[in-house]
Amino acid sequence: MLEIKNLHATIAGKEILKGLNLTVNEGEVHAIMGPNGAGKSTLSNVLTGHPAYTVTAGEVFFRGKNLLTMSPEERAREGMFLSFQYPVEIPGVSMVNFMRTAVNEKRKHEGKPALSATDFLKLMREKKALVGMDNHLTKRSVNEGFSGGEKKRNEIFQMAMLEPCLSILDETDSGLDIDALRIVAEGVNALKTPHTASIVITHYQRLLDYIVPDFVHVLADGKIVRTGGKELALELEDKGYAFLNEQP
Amino acid sequence: MLNEIILHPGEHREIILLNEPDTNWHIIQEARSTLLLHVIALPHPNDEAQWHTSITVEHKATGCKTEMYGLALLHSQQQHHLTTRVLHNVGGGYSSQLFKFVLDDESKASFKGELKILPDAQQVEAYQTNRNILLSRQAEMTTEPQLEIYADDVKASHGATTGQLDDSALFYMQQRCISRETARKLLLYAFFEDVLRTLPNEQMQEDIVEKINEYIG
Ligand SMILES: Nc1ncnc2c1ncn2[C@@H]1O[C@H](COP(=O)(O)OP(=O)(O)OP(=O)(O)O)[C@@H](O)[C@H]1O
Ligand SMILES: [Mg+2]
Repeated sequence: MLEIKNLHATIAGKEILKGLNLTVNEGEVHAIMGPNGAGKSTLSNVLTGHPAYTVTAGEVFFRGKNLLTMSPEERAREGMFLSFQYPVEIPGVSMVNFMRTAVNEKRKHEGKPALSATDFLKLMREKKALVGMDNHLTKRSVNEGFSGGEKKRNEIFQMAMLEPCLSILDETDSGLDIDALRIVAEGVNALKTPHTASIVITHYQRLLDYIVPDFVHVLADGKIVRTGGKELALELEDKGYAFLNEQP
Repeated sequence: MLNEIILHPGEHREIILLNEPDTNWHIIQEARSTLLLHVIALPHPNDEAQWHTSITVEHKATGCKTEMYGLALLHSQQQHHLTTRVLHNVGGGYSSQLFKFVLDDESKASFKGELKILPDAQQVEAYQTNRNILLSRQAEMTTEPQLEIYADDVKASHGATTGQLDDSALFYMQQRCISRETARKLLLYAFFEDVLRTLPNEQMQEDIVEKINEYIG
C-alpha cells in the first residue's frame, strides 16, 4: 500500500528526514515511536503533501502511484488520511458543510454520485455514534473552541466519515481521557478491514494496548533506527530511548 | 453626487449601495430613527473601476440606531475608498459598523472611520470593526480609525486587522479531500458570513454569494 524509499525532506532549509525507509502493506498496523523532534510529524506532513516541506531525495509509492507528484487533496481522495497532532480551527465553516463537501469530493473522485441530504445526515449520525461524538459538536464551526480531547475525537469522526485506506494517527491519544481513549481506539479498530492499514504515532504504550500494532518502529534523527514487534513498545516504555546514544 | 437625507422621528430606512461609484451621503437621524446601510463592492468587469464612498451619519436626537455593514471583493487594479463619519451629537444612541474587505491582485482599498461622541452625548454605544484579507502580495489596505470621545458614560470600541487566508486551514481542508479552490471559497464565505446575514433580502444574499463563488471558481 505504501512504500517509502530513502526519503529526505527539509523545512526552512533544515533537513529533518534523513533517509527514511518504510513499507506498509494492507491489513497492517505500524506504530511509530521516538523522541520529541525526531521527525514523526514531519513524516505525516510530507506524506500528506504539506507545502512547507521539500522532498530533496527518495521516493514514495501509494497504492502503486507516485505519491510525491500528487496534490494534497488527490492524496486524500486516494485514501490517505491524517489525524492531525494539532487539528486546525476554522471559524465560520460549519462541521456539516465541511464534512458534506469532503465526503462528496471523495465520492466524485470514486465516480459515485453526491449523497442526498437525508443519506448524508444518516451517515453523520451513524459515524457520530461509532466514535461517541457529541451532537452539539457537529453543529459548530470546525474545531472552533473544541477542547483538546474533543478535537482528537473529531479527527476520528472525520476518519470514520471518509473511510480512508491508509490512516496516519499523529498522537491521537494525547489529550484524550481514559474513557475517550478506549472509545476512539475501538472506533479505529471498527474501521479496520483486511484492505486498510494504519500508521500510529504515539509516545505511549497505553494506546497500543487497544490498537495492537504488527510492527513498532523507532524514528530518531530522521530515520527508522529500530523495528520490532509489539513487545518493542513495552521495552521502550521501560527503558526509554537511552539505547540511541549507546549505538555508534 | 451628494445625497442628503433626513430620517424623521421613528422612521426606519434601509440603504444598499452596490458597486456604486463616487457617492457622498449625509444622513441626519431624528429621534428613535433607525438606519441599516450596506456598502458592497463585488467583482466587476471593469478592472480599473474605483469606488469612492463617503457616509456621514448624525444623531440629532435621542434613541437613534445606526447599523452599517460592508463587504468588498476587489481584483485587478480596482480601488475602493470608504470613509464613514458617525457623529453622536446627543446621548442615548447606538451605532455599529462592520466592514470587511478582500483584496486580490493589485487592488487597493482604504477605510477611514471617524467616530465622534460629543460631551453631552452620554450613554452612547458605538462600535467599529474593520477586517481585511489580502489574497496577493501586491494588494494594499489602509485603515485609519479615528475616535474622538468627549463623553464619559459611553461604551465604545474599535478594532482593525489585516491578514491572509489561513494556510493551515487550507491545508487541513485539502487533507479532507477538498480542493484548494473550494477551500478558499469556504474560507471567504466564512469571512463574509457575518456581513451577509445582515442583508435584509435573502435573494440578495444568494446573488452575492453567487458572485463571490464565480470569482473564486
Ligand atoms: N518551520 C520550521 N523551521 C525549522 N525547523 C522546524 C520547523 N518545523 C519543524 N521544525 C523542526 O523539525 C524537527 C522535527 O519536528 P517534528 O514535529 O517532525 O517532530 P516530532 O517527532 O513529531 O516530535 P513530537 O514528538 O514532539 O511531536 C524539530 O526539530 C522541529 O523543531
Ligand atoms: Mg509530532
